Amino acid sequence: MKYLLTLAILLCAVLQAAQPVIPIEKYSLKNGMRVILSRDNAVPVVTIYMIFDVGARAEEKGRTGFAHLFEHMMFEGSAHAPKGTHFKMVESNGGTLNGSTHPDYTDYFEVLPANKLAVGLWLESDRMRSLDITAENLANQKEAVKQERRLSFDNRPYSTAIVDRWPQIAFENWHNSHSLIGSFEDLNAASVDDVAKFFKTHYAPNNAVMVIVGDIQIPAAKKLIEEYFGDIPSQPKPERPDLSEPADVKARSDVYHDQHARVPGVVIGYPGPVRHSPDYYALGMIDVALTGGPSSRFQLDLVKGKQSVIQYQSEIGWPFASATDYKNPGRYAMFLLYKPNFTSEQIVNQAQEEIAKIQNEGVDAKELERSRTLLRSERITALQSSLRRAQLLGQYEILDGKPELINTDLEKFLAVTSADMQAAAKQYLTPEHRAVLDILPAPPPPAPPQAPKESK
Amino acid sequence: MRKQAAAILFTGTMLMAQTIDRTKPPETPPIPAFKMPPVHEAKLPNGLSVVMLEDARFPLVSVRLSFQAGSKFDPKDMPGLAGMVAGLLTQGTKTRSFRDLAEELTSIGATLNGNASPDVLTLGGSVLAENTAKLLDLTADVALNANFPENEVQLRKQNRKQALLAQRSQPAFLAKEKFDEVLFGDHPYAYIAPTMESIDRMDQKSMVQFRDTFLVPNNAVLLLVGQLPGRAETLKLVQERFGSWKEQPVPAAPAKNFPESKRRLVLVDRPGSVQADIHIGRLAVTRTDPDYYPLLVGNAILGGGASSRLFIDVREKQGFAYDAHSELDRRKDAGAVTAVTQVRNEVVEPAMEAVLGHLSAMAKTPVSSTELSDVKNHISGTFLLSLETQASLADQVDLVKTMGLPNDYLEMFTTRVRSVEPNQIQAAARKYLSPDQATIVVVGDASKIERSLEKFGDVQVEKAK
Repeated sequence: MKYLLTLAILLCAVLQAAQPVIPIEKYSLKNGMRVILSRDNAVPVVTIYMIFDVGARAEEKGRTGFAHLFEHMMFEGSAHAPKGTHFKMVESNGGTLNGSTHPDYTDYFEVLPANKLAVGLWLESDRMRSLDITAENLANQKEAVKQERRLSFDNRPYSTAIVDRWPQIAFENWHNSHSLIGSFEDLNAASVDDVAKFFKTHYAPNNAVMVIVGDIQIPAAKKLIEEYFGDIPSQPKPERPDLSEPADVKARSDVYHDQHARVPGVVIGYPGPVRHSPDYYALGMIDVALTGGPSSRFQLDLVKGKQSVIQYQSEIGWPFASATDYKNPGRYAMFLLYKPNFTSEQIVNQAQEEIAKIQNEGVDAKELERSRTLLRSERITALQSSLRRAQLLGQYEILDGKPELINTDLEKFLAVTSADMQAAAKQYLTPEHRAVLDILPAPPPPAPPQAPKESK
Repeated sequence: MRKQAAAILFTGTMLMAQTIDRTKPPETPPIPAFKMPPVHEAKLPNGLSVVMLEDARFPLVSVRLSFQAGSKFDPKDMPGLAGMVAGLLTQGTKTRSFRDLAEELTSIGATLNGNASPDVLTLGGSVLAENTAKLLDLTADVALNANFPENEVQLRKQNRKQALLAQRSQPAFLAKEKFDEVLFGDHPYAYIAPTMESIDRMDQKSMVQFRDTFLVPNNAVLLLVGQLPGRAETLKLVQERFGSWKEQPVPAAPAKNFPESKRRLVLVDRPGSVQADIHIGRLAVTRTDPDYYPLLVGNAILGGGASSRLFIDVREKQGFAYDAHSELDRRKDAGAVTAVTQVRNEVVEPAMEAVLGHLSAMAKTPVSSTELSDVKNHISGTFLLSLETQASLADQVDLVKTMGLPNDYLEMFTTRVRSVEPNQIQAAARKYLSPDQATIVVVGDASKIERSLEKFGDVQVEKAK
C-alpha cells in the first residue's frame, strides 16, 4: 500500500512536469453559448476563437461544399458592420483573422493586441446576431469559392485526388465520402434561403463555443461577453446526420491519373479508432514511431534504408483532421511520394512491413521513450501560441465537452506501452482493412475538350 | 474570488444599456508598444558572435547558428549548393551517423535543421530547456565535423531531383523561378532552387570545399533564446564546444550587379492549367534603404492584407481571384516588390488591367489619411503578434544580426513605420511601382491565354521546366 502510494506520487510528479498547465475557466451564457477563458499575461496579445458545432459532414446531398461556402458568407457583413468592415476593423486594429471549415466543425479567429479585445467581441457578436445574407454577396462568394477550388485543388498536383477521390475510397456513408470543397454544380445550386436556414440553425449561440486566450482581465472580459452576446436568442438544437460506417471495413483500392503530378504518390488508410479510446492513444504512438521526427521508422528504413520513399505525411484523421480534432468514424491514413523506379505495390508492401514489425515485435524501451519525448516537446512548442491554445480548448469542448483535456490528454499518450501498440497494430493496421489510392502522373490529354460550362 | 467576479458581472449587466452602444465599434486604447527583452552579446576569441536572450515563458531553448553562406555564395555552375550543404550537415559527422544524430535529437526533445536562404545558411533548432547543453553538443558537432557521407550525398541528390520535379508541378513555384531569373539576371539571386544539371555536378568534394570556405566561426552568429542557465554559464557552455574552432578569412559576397528594370513579359506555358498565375514587379530596396519604410507602408496599402486595394478590388469586387496581394522580397543586397494573383483563364485581360491600374494609382495619387493610419496600425499590431512565440522572436533577432540591420531595428520598427508620410509613399511608388518598368511573368496554358496578354507587350513564350 505504501509502495503504491509512493509510486502514485512519483507518477504525479512526472506527469505534472509533462507540460505547462493551461488555466481554464468555463461557463455558459443564459442563451447556451459556452465560454472558455484562459489568462496568460506573458505577451500583450489576445486570441478570440469561435467554433461552431457544424462541419462539412453535416452537408446534404446536392449541397456539397456548402459549409465552406457559408464560412465565406461570414465575412460578408452584418447589421452594424457592413461588407468589408470585418477585415478592415481587425486589420486596422493590428490584428489577423481567418476562418476554416473542417469535417466536424467550422471555426473563426481574431488575434489582436490584448487591449483590442472589445473590437473582436463586437464583430463576432454582430455577425452572430445579424449576418447580412444577400443574393449579391452569395453570388460573389460562389465565385470566390470556385476560384479557391481552382487555385488550391484543380490546378495543383495530388489535391483533387485527395479531396474528391480519397473520401470515396475511405468511406461508404455519403456524409463522410462526399467532396468537402464541393462541386461547381452544387455551389451554383445554393440559394439565399439555404444560407439563411443554415445560419439560423447552426450559428445560434447554443451551437457555439467562444474561447478567449491571452492577456485579459477575467471579470472585465466576462462583462463584455455578457453585454455583446448575452441576449442573442438560442435556437432549437439542430439534428445531427448519421455518420456511421459499416462495422466491417473491407480492403479497397483505386488509381487516379493526375494531370499535374510529376512524381508518383500513394495514399494508404486503415480503420480509425474511437476518439479517446485506448486504441486511439496506441495508434497515436504507432504513428509517432512510424513517421515522427528524423529517427522514425519510415525515415530510417524507407527514405534511407530502401531509398524508395521521398516524402511522407500521416495522421489519425488525415487529410482533413489531426489526432487532436479527429472524430470517428475516420481513418488513420498516410500519403507517400516515392521514386518512379518503384511501383505503388512495392511501396504499400514496404509500409506494411514496417507495420508488421510493430505487430510482431512492438517497440523497445529506448524507441518508446524517444517517441514520448518527441510528442511532449511538440506539444509544449505548440502551446506557445495563444491561437493554438484556443484551438485546442475549443476543439476539446466541441468534440468532447472537456476543454481540460488540453492539460491531461498528453499523459494518456505517454502512458501507452509497447504491448498496447502491438495489439492496436494487429487489430487495425492489416491489409484486409486497407484502402489504397494510387496517384500517378498522367500525360496531359492530347486535345482537351471544352472547359466545363459555368452558368452565370 | 469567484464571488467578487460574480458581483462585477452583475453590475455589468445592470449597466448594460448605458455603457455600451452595440451599433458602433468600441473605442479602444492605442496598440501597445513592443518591449524588447535585453539582448546580451559576446565574441569568442575565434570571432564567433554569441547572442543571448532570456525568455522564461516556456521550458524551451531555441538555437540559431547562422553563417554568411547563403545561396548567393553558390559557385557559378552549381546553383543550390548552399541548400544541399545545409540539408546534409545533419546527415552525418566524423563520429555520428545520420541514425545517431536523429536518435540523439529525438531523445532530448530537440530539432536541428540546416537551411539556406539567398543570404544566410542557418542551423536552427529548439530543445526542452533541461537538455540545452546536449543540443549545443550536437550543433557544434554538426557545424565543425559534418563530413557529407558519400551514400547520403548520393541519396540527397536523387531525392532533390524528385523534389524539384514535384516543385515544378506547382504553378506558383514555376512563376517565382522564372520571375527571379528575369529580375536578377547574372547575379546568383536569380536561382530559387538548384537545376537538374547543377545537382548532377554536385559531389562530396564540392560540399567539403563549401564547408571549409564558409562555415567558420568568424563568419557566424550563434543565437540562444529561452530558459538559459545564466549568462556566464551559457557562455561557458558555448566556449567549451565552439572555442577550438579555427578562424580563417572569408571571400567577399558577389558584386551587386543587377539588370536594369524594364518592361518584359514572359509566358511560361503549362498546358492544362485552369488558371493563370500572374506576377508583376521589379527590383526595389533593401531594409536599410531610406525608401524602405515608405515602400513597406505603400505595399501594405496596395496589397498587404484583406483590406488592401488589390484584395478589395480584384477578389472582393471583381471576383477574378481567390488571392490577390503584393509582397516585398527583402534580401541583403537587393529587394523586389511584386503584385501576385491567380485568375481563371477567361478574365486574364481585365485582371491584368486591374492590377496594373492599381500600381499606377499608387504613383499618381497620394494615399488617404484613413488608409495610412489603418495600415500603420495593421503593421504595428501584426509585428507585435509575430513576436509571440520563442521561435519567431529568435528569427527576428537572427534577422537583425545576419542582415546587417541596426541594433535598434526591432525596437524602432513601429516608430519608423508610424513616421511615414503620404508624399514619401508617392515618391517611392513612382520609383518602384511604375508598371512601365515592370517585369511580368505569367504561368498558364498558352493556348488559352496568350492572346489575352498580347496588348501588354511582346509575349515571350517559354516551356515550363
